Amino acid sequence: MSVDENTFGIVRGRRAARGLPISSTGARSLRQARAAGATLGTGYLGVGAAVVAALQAVYGLTFFLSHLSAYPDVTPALVSWLLYVATFIGTAALVTVRGERLTTGVFAVIGVVLAVVVALDFVAVWPLHDVGAYATSSVAVGFGLLPIVTLRPVREVVVATALLFVAFVVMVAASTPVTSDSGPQQIAVVALTVLPSAIATFAVHRFRRMVQVELDRVLVQSNVSQPRFAVGMLASDELARLDLAAEKLLDGVANGDVPLPLSPKVASQAASLATELRLHLIEGRRETWLHHAVTESEYLGRSVTLVDPSSLAGLLAPPQRDGLLQGVWLLLGDSKSRAPGTTIQLTLGPVTAASQSFAGRSVCVPVVVSTTGIRRNRVTPATWNALERAGEYTVSTHESSVKISVACIVDNPAET
Amino acid sequence: MDIFAQERDRLLSSTTRTLGLACAAVSIVALVIPGVTDPLHLAAIAPLAALLIVALLFVTGPRARVWVPVGLAAGIAATVVALLPAGSPDDGPLATAIIPLAGGATAAFSLMLSSSRPRLTTAVVAFVVEITLVALATGSLFTFPVAAVLLGWVSCFVTGLWLGRAVPLAARRIYSIGNAHRAERQASETEAQRRQGARLLHDTVLATLTLLAHSGFGVTAQALQDQAAEDARLLRHLRLGGTPQPQASGDYSLETVEESPLGQTLESVKQRFGRMGLEVSWHGTGQVLLPTHVLDAFLLALAECLENVRRHAGVTEAHVTIIHDDSMVRAMVTDAGVGFDLAGISEERLGFKESVVGRLHEVGGSARLFSSPGSGTTVVLEAPR
Repeated sequence: MSVDENTFGIVRGRRAARGLPISSTGARSLRQARAAGATLGTGYLGVGAAVVAALQAVYGLTFFLSHLSAYPDVTPALVSWLLYVATFIGTAALVTVRGERLTTGVFAVIGVVLAVVVALDFVAVWPLHDVGAYATSSVAVGFGLLPIVTLRPVREVVVATALLFVAFVVMVAASTPVTSDSGPQQIAVVALTVLPSAIATFAVHRFRRMVQVELDRVLVQSNVSQPRFAVGMLASDELARLDLAAEKLLDGVANGDVPLPLSPKVASQAASLATELRLHLIEGRRETWLHHAVTESEYLGRSVTLVDPSSLAGLLAPPQRDGLLQGVWLLLGDSKSRAPGTTIQLTLGPVTAASQSFAGRSVCVPVVVSTTGIRRNRVTPATWNALERAGEYTVSTHESSVKISVACIVDNPAET
Repeated sequence: MDIFAQERDRLLSSTTRTLGLACAAVSIVALVIPGVTDPLHLAAIAPLAALLIVALLFVTGPRARVWVPVGLAAGIAATVVALLPAGSPDDGPLATAIIPLAGGATAAFSLMLSSSRPRLTTAVVAFVVEITLVALATGSLFTFPVAAVLLGWVSCFVTGLWLGRAVPLAARRIYSIGNAHRAERQASETEAQRRQGARLLHDTVLATLTLLAHSGFGVTAQALQDQAAEDARLLRHLRLGGTPQPQASGDYSLETVEESPLGQTLESVKQRFGRMGLEVSWHGTGQVLLPTHVLDAFLLALAECLENVRRHAGVTEAHVTIIHDDSMVRAMVTDAGVGFDLAGISEERLGFKESVVGRLHEVGGSARLFSSPGSGTTVVLEAPR
């Protein structure tokens, strides 16, 4: 990892995805939030998955016990079930005690034990030549993967599910003559084994993504309460960095570590430091909350462009800001998974006199939300509710994509 | 919170769709195995299964309210039609083939039916009807298809319940993280304001850095070292959380200018220029009580004027006269230097307009410049009290 240090030994250049310096407080809080977001609520889901797996185990065990007489040798199946139940309870206890995590080592052991369970069950049902009708503990293994979906990375569960699928297909092909009588049963049992963990993987993936998106939205929403112009999470970190660099240089000059007259190299460092510092002192406060919201958000930043040359977004009251931000969010959120070419352009201004204004106390900031790739009928009612809070809106369609004009009535800045 | 309700419904409906379509596909594959059922019977099941699939496809859309009952009805009807001619337990393959449809594709809708009383009622009614039908068709309540369908419905319902309840739990965590983040942002904003607010400090730091950028040319090494030490001390002070400005209560400075220990005072400005070779003589009042931001702007403008004298006037002495009344404070900066033709040199070139006029304008003050070649320069700065 290359670290870009400036001449004073201070790490400067490395930026996180959102443009925050990686060592900054802002970036740290975001990182922590994201790390928590990865597991937010999935522990609870894991318990639910375990309940479903337990229900299926009871079902499978009941079926097995009621068909005991059919087995020529029941021992392998019995051992297989005992092993499965023991693994299930052991894992549940371990996860409860250790907190919601499963280390790679433990997962590997569980994987091997589950493979043994499947193998023993297959050995027991082999002589019956009807896997679909008699496989029990090996089917339970498929459900046993359910709680693991919430604890391990998606690809590991996918690999485990795929292996299970292959094992079943091979076993069915090798041991069972597929006829019109036995066929449905085989297909049903393979589906019953593989589908639960596949669907659970999908659902947990969706859930995690939802948590990430909501987290992003909530984090960005904190921009709403900012003053008209704000510096963003970036500025104080940058300023602190520059101040520290200046302090170190000046200290060096003061106690003679840096000899005078300065070498050209150090002199040019001082010059660039002064320039950066001046820029940050003067330029820091020109951006509005909306600019910060768009640049800080992973989801908005990708497809939203903001045209606000007069910084009019700063005039909006907090409820209007909230409505506008949420509206844009929902517009984008509704279609982000569908069209990759989805974009939104927000154009603010120019200011016009509000028609129902008393003696020019309020003015109207027109906000035009022009989009590409968002069909009008895909926009949810919640979007309109949100935009309503920003102001009266009119909707039109431009090149089969929705275009919204919102008239935000704000206090006349000249009056306040 | 309505956004989370929407997110929850979206999560549940997309899970319903995926699960339902997968199960329907399994069932159809099993049904079309030759010999499981005759083509005529299959043709009767097909439209209902197709309707079920359409309902599953549309269940993620805005009209889910309509498509859920349609899907449930289609699923139940498909079960009825499929099991109609059976009536005996020995038609196993057909019953088995229909299990994924009854206990999976139809049961999938119950994922979405745990969040309110009417929905719950719908789920229970559909479940009872489905189980009864399968039990009737297979002749007993204790058969493999009944148990399998039961397992499917219960699993789906529990999954829906759990997924649905996990969303508000996550929402609460997310909101608390959001609150923490808001606090963090405010702290960051306050910190940036504090640092940006220390403008006079930064002004001297910038001046020193600029001197260093010119390798300290024109200033003695000792003076530069003293200045650097002073600035480093102020920066350290700032870093450790202090605010090297006059102590303030509300908006108003409580300390006399001369007592301020941290370099914003007239005295420290004088010392700074003294080190750089410009002797500044003060006249008039030495104590000015000003709002912090006005004091900052005023001193910055003054320092900028003195810097101009140092650079351009060609003299080593400047006079500053401070007078004030109830509403205004004025400073007159005069030098007996070379002067210049006001028409000949643009104000911007001296940095006068931005750094002096602009700063004073911001706080409601003004600046006027008088000069002619050979007879020195006078600047009058005004700021409100």
